[in-house]
Amino acid sequence: MSDAVPLTTDRPGQVASVTPPARGRSRRLSDRKLAVAFIAPALLLLLAMSVFPLLWALYLSFTDYSATRGGSGSFVWFENYTAVLTSAQVHLRAVTTLIYVVGAVVLQTVLGFSIAYLISRRTHGRGLLTTLFLIPMMLSPVVVGLFWRFMLDAQFGVVNSMLGSLGLEQVEWLTRQRMALASLIMVDTWQWTPFIMLIALAGLTAVPKYLYEAASIDRASEWFRFRTITLPLVWPLLLIAVLFRAIEAFRLFDLVYILTSGGPGVSTETLSFHVYKVAFLGFNTGTASAYGILMVLVVIVLTQLYLRYLNKLKED
Amino acid sequence: MAVSVNEAVPASPVRDRTPPARRIGGGGRGRSVLEIALLTVLAVVMLFPVLWMIETSIKENRDVYAVPAKFVDFQVTLAHYRDVFVDPGGGRSALSVAFLNSVLVAGVSTVLATLLGVPAAWAYSRFALKAKKDQLFFILSTRFMPPVVVVIPIFLMYRQVGLIDTPLGLILIYTAFNLPFTIWMIKGFVDEVPAEYEDAAMLDGYTRLQAFRKFTLPLLVPGIAATAVFALIFSWNEFVFAIFLTSSDDVRTAPPAIAGLIGGTTVDWGLVAASSVVFALPVLVFAYLVRRHLVAGVTLGAVRR
Amino acid sequence: MLLVGATMTACSGGEDDAAQVSAPKAPATIPELTTDPVTLSFVWFEWPPAQALEKFANEEYKKVRPNATIKVNTVPNANWHDAMFTQFAARKTDFDIAILDSQHIGEAVTNGNILDLTDFVKKNIDVNAYDPYLLAAYGQFPQAETGKRDENASLYGLPLLGDTWTMIYRKDLIGDQPPQTWDEMISAAQKCQTDHPGVSGLAFHQANGSDAAAVTYNTVNGVYGGNLWDAKAKKIEGVLNDAAGQEAMDVLVNKMKPLTAKGSGNWFIDEVNAAVAQGKACIAFNWIAASGGLLDPKQSTLGKSKEEILGKLGFATLPKQKTDLVPLGGMGMHVSAYSPAANQAEALNFMKWFEQADVQKKWAAAGGVPSRTDAIQSPEFLNAGPFNQVYADSVPRMRDMWNVPQYARLVDIENTGVNAALNGAKKPSDALNDIAREQQAVLDSSGKKGGGGL
Repeated sequence: MSDAVPLTTDRPGQVASVTPPARGRSRRLSDRKLAVAFIAPALLLLLAMSVFPLLWALYLSFTDYSATRGGSGSFVWFENYTAVLTSAQVHLRAVTTLIYVVGAVVLQTVLGFSIAYLISRRTHGRGLLTTLFLIPMMLSPVVVGLFWRFMLDAQFGVVNSMLGSLGLEQVEWLTRQRMALASLIMVDTWQWTPFIMLIALAGLTAVPKYLYEAASIDRASEWFRFRTITLPLVWPLLLIAVLFRAIEAFRLFDLVYILTSGGPGVSTETLSFHVYKVAFLGFNTGTASAYGILMVLVVIVLTQLYLRYLNKLKED
Repeated sequence: MAVSVNEAVPASPVRDRTPPARRIGGGGRGRSVLEIALLTVLAVVMLFPVLWMIETSIKENRDVYAVPAKFVDFQVTLAHYRDVFVDPGGGRSALSVAFLNSVLVAGVSTVLATLLGVPAAWAYSRFALKAKKDQLFFILSTRFMPPVVVVIPIFLMYRQVGLIDTPLGLILIYTAFNLPFTIWMIKGFVDEVPAEYEDAAMLDGYTRLQAFRKFTLPLLVPGIAATAVFALIFSWNEFVFAIFLTSSDDVRTAPPAIAGLIGGTTVDWGLVAASSVVFALPVLVFAYLVRRHLVAGVTLGAVRR
Repeated sequence: MLLVGATMTACSGGEDDAAQVSAPKAPATIPELTTDPVTLSFVWFEWPPAQALEKFANEEYKKVRPNATIKVNTVPNANWHDAMFTQFAARKTDFDIAILDSQHIGEAVTNGNILDLTDFVKKNIDVNAYDPYLLAAYGQFPQAETGKRDENASLYGLPLLGDTWTMIYRKDLIGDQPPQTWDEMISAAQKCQTDHPGVSGLAFHQANGSDAAAVTYNTVNGVYGGNLWDAKAKKIEGVLNDAAGQEAMDVLVNKMKPLTAKGSGNWFIDEVNAAVAQGKACIAFNWIAASGGLLDPKQSTLGKSKEEILGKLGFATLPKQKTDLVPLGGMGMHVSAYSPAANQAEALNFMKWFEQADVQKKWAAAGGVPSRTDAIQSPEFLNAGPFNQVYADSVPRMRDMWNVPQYARLVDIENTGVNAALNGAKKPSDALNDIAREQQAVLDSSGKKGGGGL
């Protein structure tokens, strides 16, 4: 395990080494058939269930089709797109989503890494600790949302009850504009800090011991060791973890649906939640499709840029 | 057969690994105590909601709303757990039907994803294919689409073929949802089994397919099991597709059924808590079983150790 | 190819237009019923009346139709509209009778999702047995003027469960006599809150889901002489936010909200009930059909028996101010256009059976709220619950929201806007002006291409 922590994403060496040498034409051919027979069913299902719907959505996004009104799906070309891009309502949700994504991911990363670091410095009880810390991540968002809603209830919730016993003021967790968004970030952080922790821990335990020993001979300060040995080795992994969390956070729907249903007002409505309203309250299928396609584009473009940055980081 | 997959995949951080740094220099006892205290505080904060959920599930409804909250001095009742399974009017409760539906949908979609994913993963690992990296990236990217967006065209598509509000509809979407993960994860396991085994077997006269079946597949079994468990957890917890693609009691899975417990005229939080506990238990048990593969599992196989 | 084909099929409904009505007609006479076992399915949201209906119908309807079984499917309240209309959109429903909210009718009729019952009603239902507005509210489209029914308009549904708000007040805290005007009510709540620390003056719906905050504002709007819209001119801007509307918003946010519990800004039916049951509210407002749980000693800290609880809780019609309007709640039965013919016949038969005088009385005794005048005035109903007299007294005072195809969006705009005002996310007057402007835009945009629904 001293070979740092490879990401399969770019691990050409290993893939190449297990590819069998070509042994004449007939063998290659049968291999090819086998490969097609093995891969085709999976790809077909993905084409039918992911690509085809997406293409359909793309088509609908150029029309004013409505799933219930059954009206003519007449072409409006880019009108849905311009409407979405210029809508103040959409901008509002984009800002909310951005605050949420950045807030949640930063908090989770800091907390998750800290916990991982603390755990990695323990000799005893690490297995138990890690397992316990992971529980929130395994719960369904429905369960998490419902239960936090119960606990954060200003009147009957246990959180305010505890604050009360400490002589503190009750907090309106879910019904004040800023606080509600903060609560959403907090609950998401509660659930997903273990994710970052788990991955950071994987990186931390993979740091070869001899590096620390060498450093300790040099009498390097602890901060210096952390900065020059630990962090560089864990950093790429953390970045991958952050990417995963950011994408997930960007898609967030269920927690909003259950915890605040977008309130107060629309101050915790994320983009996903807004798409849902456009799609299922007014059944403006065309607009919702354009909205969704734009969201997918944002994910793809940002992910590509991020991955490029990651690869560059690796090369340096 | 010297190498087993279990050894090929290093143990997760969860168990028996030597610590990287044994507090060489610096630190000292005071700091160690501080660190332990900090960890304890964090653990309490992270686990308190879970404990509170369990406590609520065994409280009587009158105590559930008590202010200040009752932490210890309440009457224990198991009535909520009975209500999860048994209808107050006798017979099976709607929740227990939902749990069975979840078992069916999550189970079948996992089996399907595995059946489709394992051969594909093996082929991707073993063969030089055109634009393999692109194909693999494409496969993974289908997993990153916002479900709320996907659900619109899926809904229209299902409407045409009559799959709305059917278990099959959910099974198909969950299979497609889990397939990218399955392929990536299992490809990682296949990569770790040297191709030379199959080459050697083929020199002995086996066809490639036989070599795969007889020599590689058995080595993959633990990895496949772990992957399947993760797929099971994903489909078990899934909510967005479930709420938009199903509506009737006979088809509804547990997450929307549990969500449906609130928003009536009175919320039976004890029942919500009890059903949440019952719903979460299998996931926790399964997650514990695959603890070695958690890192790969939660990153769709993108990060391995 | 598949893509085009699929869209074409979906388009076969033809051009949509709010004025153009495409609901298929139900036969005037009930077709011959099957003798095979048949299951008649309903869809409703999860609440006690749903269980009451299933139990009642299976017990009573089976007496006339032994081969029929009634199944009431329930969905979460927040998902109620979506669950029904996604199935309508699928042109395939797992229910035969949709229990639509009164304001959903326009959307369902315009899309051709439910049967036109006009001829059926003429032939089978004694329309004179009802308060005309109740019949209109749960069945008529286009919407009737408040309090009336247009005898020439088409009917698409029949009443299932009547409902309105009741005022719930603590007799032990504010006295046996309920306040008569809105002003009195507010000052009684104020005094009660001051006299009893830990108990809030008021509890009412403020959530931004379903129609919670919207109904609350509409109620105050009605009481203060405001109007939701000018139905004929299709105008909301300038009507909703006129002086009366602004006054209502001011009363709601600046006089009533300060008397509610901290953090009650996301409360709906169940939270208000919990606050009453926990003895935390002096005066509360809730739907009558949702108030049954308040009398359950297992859920309540107010007493160990129903009688003890009733010693503390009083139920009264809403106070009046400039008008005596109260919100119309409840739902009607509507036959899915996509249900098999045999089930549609059974559904019609069920509705005819259900609307008979004696069955309505039995429904009242079983916990339902009937709509026939004779059933509402019957001792079976009036004695079945302490709030039923409230309903009987409220019938002539009811007002509904807009029943138009765009209802779901209108109510969402109002819900989020009022919720924002209640929780300090917007100034009350700004919130009301924004609501009026956005709602007007929704009404005006029906002909616009592209970008609808934002």
